[in-house]
Amino acid sequence: MLSRVANLVYWMARQLERAENTARIVDVNAQLVLDLQSRQAADDPKSWEPLVYVTGDDEKFFELYGETVTERAVTEFMLFDRRNPSSLISCIALARENARCIRDQLSGEVWETLNTFYLKLKSDDYTRYAQLGSAEYLNRIKTQIQLFYGVAESMIPRTGLWWFFLLGRFLERADNTSRILDVKYYMLLPDLHAVGSALDMVQWASVLRSCSAFEAFRRSRRGQLNLERVVDYLLRDEVFPRSILFAIAEAEQALGQITATAVHLEDTPPARLIRELRAELEMIDVPAVIADGLHEFLDDIQTKVLEIHEALQATFVNYDTASAQVQS
Amino acid sequence: MPDLFANYEHGKFYDEMFAAPGKARPHYRRLYERFGMMENMAELMDRQRTADQTFIDRGVTFTVYSDNAGTEKIFPFDLLPRIIPAHEWAHLERGLIQRMQALNLFLADIYDGQRILAEGIVPREMIETSKNFRKELVGCKIARDLYVHINGSDMIRDEAGLYSVLEDNLRTPSGVSYVLENRQVMKRVFPTMLRDYRVRPVENYTNDLLNLLLYLAPAHVPEPTVVLLTPGVYNSAYFEHSFLARQMGIEIVEGSDLVVENDKVYMRRTDGLAPVHVIYRRIDDDFLDPTVFRKDSLLGVPGLFEAYRKGNVALCNPIGTGVADDKAVYYYVPKMIKFYLGEDPILPNIETYLSGNAKELDYILANLPKLVVKSVNEAGGYGMLVGPHSTQTQIEDFRAKIIANPRNFIAQPTIGLSRCPSVIEGGTIEGRHIDFRPYILNGETIKIMPGGLTRVALRKGSLVVNSSQGGGSKDTWVLNDDITNPPLPVQEKIIV
Repeated sequence: MLSRVANLVYWMARQLERAENTARIVDVNAQLVLDLQSRQAADDPKSWEPLVYVTGDDEKFFELYGETVTERAVTEFMLFDRRNPSSLISCIALARENARCIRDQLSGEVWETLNTFYLKLKSDDYTRYAQLGSAEYLNRIKTQIQLFYGVAESMIPRTGLWWFFLLGRFLERADNTSRILDVKYYMLLPDLHAVGSALDMVQWASVLRSCSAFEAFRRSRRGQLNLERVVDYLLRDEVFPRSILFAIAEAEQALGQITATAVHLEDTPPARLIRELRAELEMIDVPAVIADGLHEFLDDIQTKVLEIHEALQATFVNYDTASAQVQS
Repeated sequence: MPDLFANYEHGKFYDEMFAAPGKARPHYRRLYERFGMMENMAELMDRQRTADQTFIDRGVTFTVYSDNAGTEKIFPFDLLPRIIPAHEWAHLERGLIQRMQALNLFLADIYDGQRILAEGIVPREMIETSKNFRKELVGCKIARDLYVHINGSDMIRDEAGLYSVLEDNLRTPSGVSYVLENRQVMKRVFPTMLRDYRVRPVENYTNDLLNLLLYLAPAHVPEPTVVLLTPGVYNSAYFEHSFLARQMGIEIVEGSDLVVENDKVYMRRTDGLAPVHVIYRRIDDDFLDPTVFRKDSLLGVPGLFEAYRKGNVALCNPIGTGVADDKAVYYYVPKMIKFYLGEDPILPNIETYLSGNAKELDYILANLPKLVVKSVNEAGGYGMLVGPHSTQTQIEDFRAKIIANPRNFIAQPTIGLSRCPSVIEGGTIEGRHIDFRPYILNGETIKIMPGGLTRVALRKGSLVVNSSQGGGSKDTWVLNDDITNPPLPVQEKIIV
């Protein structure tokens, strides 16, 4: 397939996955804040500030909204602000624009589902969000994105188009799940004794819920909800679709499908990098990771995902034509 | 029997359907009788709505330049077909083949030999000052000696019903996708009528086009790769580009998808570079290669010209065809036919005055309110003055432009284009002016799709049929044989 088309579908998938995770991150925080109750008032800047850092867009945020962090400012920034390239609306708008460029290669229904979603979302704002309540509003958003995936899954032929779609989707998910985990890191607990307390448990349950992982976790791991066990689950559960290991393994498979028909692409830098990251996740010692600093570890995963992304671009999209393989 | 045409007003123009009030021409009689059986206008309007919805559902849209990037509109479609009887078509076909042959010989001559200039039939200066003459190509060998592959000549009928050629479109004529889509819609809305009329199919066009493209490939390539080069998704004709690419099963590419290495063209794929042998380009010459033509073009492919000149890739249409559809060069087409073929033109030109000729310039300036003035290189109904429909200020504005740059303009008498009954919003049938664009393919043989794009000026009284100026289209039915007095069939079931 054409590199440009592969790149468009790859980015379309990344934008959609990011949109979904942005909705999830806002959702988990809204729930966490509710759970804080008396300890910290819901409009305490401290309750919303973490989101700004976790998405890596803090500079942009402070530039646009100044130093005062409020629930409204953060929500607007993350969901409805087109000046923020990672906001929900920006992601959906970009995904739609990409889909429009390859509309004739997607089926009509795939395009229409996304187009309809965008046209509805376009006029939404904070007032609408507040009116419906965060849980209800974000739930609708997630449902719309899931609907798109459902249509895409049943309509897109399993050619390169599909595998690049999955590759984008799962790489973005690996990155985003690491960021959701990181939210917890920023939510400073009042003191050390609080670790393992009722409040701590409530917060971990929220993190799991934001990945729709709570029930799956309960089924797969008996016993206590604690830091170590939740991190272990979201980092490297082999069967839960939103764990980082699962996402990386899926991306690896998609890449395998892409290169299956071209011998000269079998052992390329992106394939090597993905393999290494998967192996690393399979081998990690979770207590040690936590002891050494979870945030640093998660940061490292994000860097590695970025390296994989760059290697993909260099191999399939922006390769140097003078030395490129010529098909006969 | 209710008559949907009872209040139809004929006017002083040639009417495609009626020879006289209430008297349908023979090839329209069947349609007239069929419509006579409809309960009332509501039924016809229902079918019109069905047709419109089908276009929206199928995404048959175009983008208007002045609107912002996301705006797509459907090209309005009128249900009442334009019917061309077999004997008329045979005449048009002969004339169009003759014209295509002469234009091809003219281009071949202009780029290799220039005999027609040497003999003074066409003034040398006219060619050398043409914006679309590509001197870089003089003497360059091109695939199969075919200097033009696709022509969309615009034709009109005057008050007497005489067909003439209004202009040639030898660069990237568009609109053929609407012809094919219009027919698809008509098949749904009037299935039995199409069959009973024995309308000739247009569906072979994409197949013929693909064969033509394959015919142009460099001789040594056993399985050539053909692509369609588009300016991109925001181009007004993108729907057509993607439609044709899909119909032919070829890749649609943008300039950035193509690279030239060692004077060979490749497309960038995820698994490496794949060779490209024929490019059906829907980009003007100016934008094709920034190293040779417009330096600021981001749409083109650096190095493409050299690959083309070396014969490693074929372009359709070839580079430089625009010199023959310069509206001032158009004036000379009848002379070309005589010069190259030794024949009289079967299809006449419209009477044309060149403001570049001193005598004719005087005439033009003295008669502006009566004339249509056109800028020689514009298309799409832009850069044009329709004298009788213009204000004094507009006329004076053009007068100044013509005096400043006479080579840039031609003038023609205002022709009362023929009219065809059309369904008007609000539920009446009224006559609207139409023109006609057939599509002529010049490959191993010359092939003309039996049909074409009939454009209709839907604004009352308007003579401008361009989609950008409020025009719509009609299906064009070329009949397989002439039915002079058709039997009346039983009423078809309405399929909605």
